Amino acid sequence: MMFDNVRKAFWKALTPDLVVDESGKHESVLQPAVLAALGGAGNVKSEQRVALTRIRVELADITRLDPQALRAAGVPGILSLPGGLVHLVVGL
Amino acid sequence: MVSSQQLQLLAPLSGVLMALDNVPDPVFSSRMIGDGLCIDPTSQVLCAPLAGVISNLQHTGHAISITGANGVQVLLHIGLDTVNLAGKGFTPLVEEGQQVAAGQALIEFDADFVALNARSLLTLMLVVSGESFVPLVPGADLVESGQPLLALQLAETPALAEEQTGAAQLSASQTLPNPNGLHARPAAVFAQAAKGFAATIHLHKQGASANANAKSLVAIMALQTVHGDSVYLSAVGADAGQALKVLSELLASGCGEEVAIEVVEAQPMVMPEQVASDMLRGVCASPGSVFGPVVQLSENALQIDELATDSSLENQCLKQGLAEAATALQALCDNAPGNAQAEIFKAHQELLEDPGLLEQAFALIDQGKSAAFAWQSATQETATLFKGLGNRLLAERALDLQDVGQRVLKLMLGVQDRVLELPDNAILIAEQLTPSQTAALDTRKVAGFATVGGGATSHVAILARALGLPAICGVAPQVLALANGTQVLLDADAGLLHLQPDPERIKQLDRQREQQRQRQQQDLQQAALAACTRDGQRIEVSANIASLAEAEQAVTLGAEGVGLLRSEFLYLERNSAPSHDEQVATYSAIARTVGTEHNLVVRTLDVGGDKPLAYVPMDHELNPFLGMRGIRLCLERPQLLREQLRAILASAELTRLHIMLPMVTQLSELRMARQLLEEEALVLGVKTLPKLGIMIEVPAAALMADLFAPEVDFFSIGTNDLTQYTLAMDRDHPRLASQADSFHPAVLRLIASTVKAAHAHGKWVGVCGALASETLAVPVLLGLGVDELSVSVPLIPAIKARVRELDFAACQSLAQQVLELESAGQVRAALQPLQQPMTVLEY
Repeated sequence: MMFDNVRKAFWKALTPDLVVDESGKHESVLQPAVLAALGGAGNVKSEQRVALTRIRVELADITRLDPQALRAAGVPGILSLPGGLVHLVVGL
Repeated sequence: MVSSQQLQLLAPLSGVLMALDNVPDPVFSSRMIGDGLCIDPTSQVLCAPLAGVISNLQHTGHAISITGANGVQVLLHIGLDTVNLAGKGFTPLVEEGQQVAAGQALIEFDADFVALNARSLLTLMLVVSGESFVPLVPGADLVESGQPLLALQLAETPALAEEQTGAAQLSASQTLPNPNGLHARPAAVFAQAAKGFAATIHLHKQGASANANAKSLVAIMALQTVHGDSVYLSAVGADAGQALKVLSELLASGCGEEVAIEVVEAQPMVMPEQVASDMLRGVCASPGSVFGPVVQLSENALQIDELATDSSLENQCLKQGLAEAATALQALCDNAPGNAQAEIFKAHQELLEDPGLLEQAFALIDQGKSAAFAWQSATQETATLFKGLGNRLLAERALDLQDVGQRVLKLMLGVQDRVLELPDNAILIAEQLTPSQTAALDTRKVAGFATVGGGATSHVAILARALGLPAICGVAPQVLALANGTQVLLDADAGLLHLQPDPERIKQLDRQREQQRQRQQQDLQQAALAACTRDGQRIEVSANIASLAEAEQAVTLGAEGVGLLRSEFLYLERNSAPSHDEQVATYSAIARTVGTEHNLVVRTLDVGGDKPLAYVPMDHELNPFLGMRGIRLCLERPQLLREQLRAILASAELTRLHIMLPMVTQLSELRMARQLLEEEALVLGVKTLPKLGIMIEVPAAALMADLFAPEVDFFSIGTNDLTQYTLAMDRDHPRLASQADSFHPAVLRLIASTVKAAHAHGKWVGVCGALASETLAVPVLLGLGVDELSVSVPLIPAIKARVRELDFAACQSLAQQVLELESAGQVRAALQPLQQPMTVLEY
């Protein structure tokens, strides 16, 4: 379910005119549960769709990332990199 | 059934499993290479799924195959389209031929670099030898590196295809057109086709002793072919002739990969010696004619010995050369007149530290080569690779690489860079111009260019057109042998360099140039005056700019504001996004220069697959001109647009600020951008919103101008893109470019209807494409009711002068007349008689 939301957000980011905008905000493709698992919106310095299947996020404080909550929120794969960088592997 | 043995394949990576069918690459999903599975990695070391010998390691480090003792062959391929990374981001930990244990680390890769620079990280494990398998953990979606994944059924050794005997037939030698040689994808297509023949077929690489069984994917990959390699085929068997014919054609066509059209060298019109004595032929890169002395910019070939005796001494020599070059570049960076130049030299410094390049050079020294030879080989090889990838940005990097290569070479060899004293009207001759050379040129003394390399879109062509100087590219290399000071006539329109020009022709040119000069001076004197037709119709003439310097120059040349600020200049050639303060400073400085009396039209970021940004990774697009360009990209990455709008809004009080959106096709795009603008203005407390308009460059927008008009403050017509989209002709296409003419009545009709729609709603229309800068087009655009012409800076006085010669009422009837014509040629013919003889010449 949550995974579907993430996919929908992707689709929206790709085709802004085809999906009706509900919130009026274009700030983030991340769902609230994913954001929360990343330590809240304030902890996310940047986010970027990369490499077809990933969201690349930069966290201010990596210790606030909760891997279990992230998986529960529908993100199957996580790659933690130095400098607070994290790849969320969310699929096509 | 004989009970067959089993072999377990281990997961080569940790990550998320994906079914092969879902892999967005037909070569893999079709199982053409072999069946297997795909992992989206969450680890960064690729490990061996089975024990065996490394049967192939691609030199780019992104793919590897292992052959087990029982003949099982497994291909591991990291990422999609990663061959284009040319080895960057991959560190092989093993060598070809090495025996490895199951689970042993094979290749380390930088997942972040690959994610940012390649299409995907999706990693394939494929059983090339064709054994069937069953999954050991059905239904799993997460796997850990080293975990047993597949159980292979080892069949009895299959009967080997019968080795055909008889006399071998050979194919003619041919050049590989594939940008990266026969890597996994084209090799698979080729092997598949070869399997269709009974004949025994081998692929041979010219100059290499090795050859490959054409039916073996891995063997073909192991040949490590590169772009331009010369190959031929041999075949034995009944259908050998047919096989050679089919496979040769397949090779020539690129084996399913998009390849550049082979450039057919122009047949010399006469015997080469005769050409050399009289004239040299090239391709027009920038029009015009000029007479002047030759100045050779080509470097004298540096004296380089290939071999050295003491490799530790050579090692030292290269290190010192690199260190000195780094210091020199730092000085150039610190003293650079502008940010852009500083960025170029900073990039050069980075190239000096490139591990791949250094490794290559030091390895050659270890093999007994001299430091200079090793460095030159390493830089040239990499530059050739970059050029062959068919990516404009990388091709430009190749020029940078050669530039850096020369710098270090000269330092090692103790060759002093002489300061070039140019005579007046110098005609510069070069193999190819590098950024360092052009940055150091006194352009006031240059009259023209002729280069051996390059085409109509090369660095030198762009520079020449920006300077309004005639230039030809693709000239025969004999041009490099001309003595400095030789007086030559460069006739760029005809693509000719006359070595013994006719004195009459020179006199004629001199006369024309004198007339031109007078005319130019006259235009310049009146540049500050308004552009009014003889019967009093006023039109605004503004400038197309890309920098503060151009803004200043435009104002002195009489521009009434800026009709197009190409904001990409803030973003191109950078590795990171410009900071907010940096953007604000640039926009404010330009806004102050334009002042509160005039318009400043800032076009938001217009980038896309055709002009990519280094720090905004974009998926490769098959057809970037129909892809994520302009506003489409900005709305996909709204943060980028928001940041830019915020920076632009800081100049709201300094000028009559206008914001213009590129590539708008849908009303929703305009509405969404307006919402972003209003939100940002609210946050910043900007009370008077800047004017918001759109570029009309997509036919859809022109055709729906009546619906757009109520919601915009202005339109500006980008004739270059509008022309290529309307006529469906690439303006850089070698054979179509001349037909992709903005004078085509279809384009003019779209302009006419756009103007009509805008005026019905009281909105103004500008033209900022190249058409506005053509004196021939001025009467039509005026007659169609265009309110503003935004032109390239040096042409402002001329376009204003042209307006003053015209009669508005006559222009109106002329415009209606040309709308009814059939072709661009007819339109040009109808306009030609109006053109004053002196303004026919470009300047």
